[in-house]
Amino acid sequence: MSFVEFRFLWFFLLVFIVYWAMRSNTARKVWLLLCSYAFYAAWSWKFTFLLLGSTTVDYIVGQMLGRREGPTWRRFWIATSICVNLGVLGLFKYFNFFVSSASGFLAWLGLPASVNTLNIILPVGISFYTFHSMSYTIDVYRGKQRPISNFADLALFVSFFPPLVAGPIVRAVYFLPQLVSARKFSNIDVRGAVMLFLAGFIKKACIADGVAPTVDRYFAHPVNFTAASAWIGVLFYAIQIYCDFSGYTDMAIAAARLLGYQLPNNFQFPYFARNVSDFWRRWHISLSSWLRDYLYIPLGGNRGSRGFAYRNVMITMLLGGLWHGAAWTFVIWGALHGTALLIHREWIRLTEGLKWATRAMRWLAWPVTIYAVCVAWIFFRAHDLRSAGTILKQFTLFHGGGNEHFHRWFLLVIGALAFIHWLNSRRWFAESWRQWPAPVFAAAYGCTFAVVLLFVPPHYTPFIYFQF
Amino acid sequence: MPVREPVSKVHVETPAPHEPTGRKTAIRALTNIGIGAAAFLITCVGLRVVLPFPEIDGGVSQKFRFFDAHKDEFDTLFIGSSRVYFQISPAIFDRVTRESGLPTHSFNFGIGGMYLPETSYLLEQILNLKPRNLRWVFIEYDELQTKWSPENQTSQRALYWADWKRVSLLLRKLTDGGTDPFWLPNPAKLRDIVLRQEDEKNTRSLLTFYAGQFEKNYTNVARAADVLGYFFGRDTKGRRASYLGVASDGYVTRPNRMSPNQVTAYERGLAAAMAQTGTHPLSLYAVEAYRQCAQEVRNIGATPIFLITPSTTQINVATEGTGLTGVVMAFNNPRAYPSLYRSSVRRDGQHLTKSGAEEFTRIVAVNFVELARAGGIK
Repeated sequence: MSFVEFRFLWFFLLVFIVYWAMRSNTARKVWLLLCSYAFYAAWSWKFTFLLLGSTTVDYIVGQMLGRREGPTWRRFWIATSICVNLGVLGLFKYFNFFVSSASGFLAWLGLPASVNTLNIILPVGISFYTFHSMSYTIDVYRGKQRPISNFADLALFVSFFPPLVAGPIVRAVYFLPQLVSARKFSNIDVRGAVMLFLAGFIKKACIADGVAPTVDRYFAHPVNFTAASAWIGVLFYAIQIYCDFSGYTDMAIAAARLLGYQLPNNFQFPYFARNVSDFWRRWHISLSSWLRDYLYIPLGGNRGSRGFAYRNVMITMLLGGLWHGAAWTFVIWGALHGTALLIHREWIRLTEGLKWATRAMRWLAWPVTIYAVCVAWIFFRAHDLRSAGTILKQFTLFHGGGNEHFHRWFLLVIGALAFIHWLNSRRWFAESWRQWPAPVFAAAYGCTFAVVLLFVPPHYTPFIYFQF
Repeated sequence: MPVREPVSKVHVETPAPHEPTGRKTAIRALTNIGIGAAAFLITCVGLRVVLPFPEIDGGVSQKFRFFDAHKDEFDTLFIGSSRVYFQISPAIFDRVTRESGLPTHSFNFGIGGMYLPETSYLLEQILNLKPRNLRWVFIEYDELQTKWSPENQTSQRALYWADWKRVSLLLRKLTDGGTDPFWLPNPAKLRDIVLRQEDEKNTRSLLTFYAGQFEKNYTNVARAADVLGYFFGRDTKGRRASYLGVASDGYVTRPNRMSPNQVTAYERGLAAAMAQTGTHPLSLYAVEAYRQCAQEVRNIGATPIFLITPSTTQINVATEGTGLTGVVMAFNNPRAYPSLYRSSVRRDGQHLTKSGAEEFTRIVAVNFVELARAGGIK
């Protein structure tokens, strides 16, 4: 069940009405927990046991960590939690990748090995809820979060349906305090939430799904296209992935808000970033901050020599790439971003105090950043390394071998979308609707939604981040 | 002079700002939800009224627009799948009928991959154009299809016909709900679907799919393209001709023949189909759909004729006791029509070559004239 399907609307209406009709906070939380599991079961009921298992392990670990035993035992319990969570993730997501990569490597060495891969499907959202759950035990271990005694609260935190399958990644210290007291409907910014939902819906259903066929067509056979069409294909993908993912996030945040809960912001106009560091402060913020706090800093962060810090950046970005998917293309995507971050740091260090550099970057910073981000997207989207190489050649060297081409007005679409995005960043569409009387707002909202549906493609395309 | 006594100042608390009670908040929220929902529905209905006929691939729009422009010129209409599209030549049909003293002017509204319930919707739309001179409507007679090929599921083609009349028929068939106007799913079937019994694996996804199509259809999903197409995307001559055929009668030829391997497979399939004993009637849902079609055709003063084409998958379709008030012209008997089942005139088990199609059209026309003369078409 996806947020852009009609059945989600019916599901959410039921959740919303029953939730607010209940008075007791406990009853509401139990209701949300049941609905969250039902939401996940709509995809596969079998994997709800995995979700439950992961929660149970972390609940037990949390309780054990709360017993104030010695540091060895504490290390044992946190290691247990990390091993179980990453073990499950590794089994479902990475086992086949590592086995087939090892087999390929052995074959390359002239030692062909017959290996068996597992015939399993990837549980949707496993990367997200694993990180939700791990944040709880790590924060308890670090003393930032008290162990929670109510199992249902922890289960609701891990399985809360809005961010369950594609984020944002929610941390225990952020969410669990919100479960303590009953939410008040009068405290909810309903207008803000429904407008955010509409914005997310437009991004996903109209824009991302609208450009998806063109992107799919290009990336399926890039060799058939001209270099200009390669640019259109790659830029369309940059638009698609942003609108798809941030659209989902907007809808998730809005749905949670309507139930009285806050989720962390995940995007802050990333394509207006002026360097790659800035990009990572604006793109998938909940993941980048998670990796920073739970991986980069524990690895040593900026402490120590420059080389040591750079090593930590590269490890973090490589694992960040691998988090997205079990394929070398994702690893390269992470490596490219890691390299770009290092280049940026070196550039800052080497040009410190040089006026010409500051002046040059005033003009070049944005185009260089967006170009680097788009080059990296090629690896993120390409089916394999060979086709990524073809696209890279077309995109960077204008070397297009094929005859097929997209219509030139596609460039106008890119320009128009960029302009609307820029206006939005200037808060052009921000607040005027807040002044309208409630019935007028409701009527205008209904009419607008009906008009927006005209622009939705007939077939729903799954969210890109569902596969992660 | 009286002395004014000092008055003690009484502190009066300013009233607290009015806070709506939970009940009032709920009523207000529900009212606004109601207003929003009503505005949404009214806008959807309004847009549905003003939007043009959708742009549907496969020639649906081209044929519909052409027929709309020439609706009063035709008195005979053929509607159905590719088995009608590529196999009924209006030019030959009209020549035979003219030579037999019963002149007609026919149009082929066959569309590749069009079965019930799409046929029934499109026929309704055609009849809504009020073609004044239409006298005979040949409707391909086949089972009500509940399955769609995945490639067709992603296009407007799988959406534009999904109104309640069509979707309810599909839901009734999928849930064994019967054909009564007021129906409920069969509880046993529903239980199997909910519990995901092995043989009902696909039914659940089909139910979700059709419910989704119905919602999308009534909320005008993806119709912006039709507006743009209406103003900017008029057909080119070449594109129109590719669907309407060289004679602009809706007939397009497909001349290719089968390879030796295909011939072997075809003959094996034909023999297997002919070896099966007994016939099977169409489902009561298909019959109900055809009954509705027949009624609509009669409502404009025309006569429905049901047509079973020479296809190996239809050999065992029952032609007697169909429960329909209309003629069923059946060509699904290889023994009665051997010339239509020879491998030399077949493209595959379903379709005829150009020469086969011409032969089939002649036979249909001759049968039609004979029936009409004998007063068999009512």
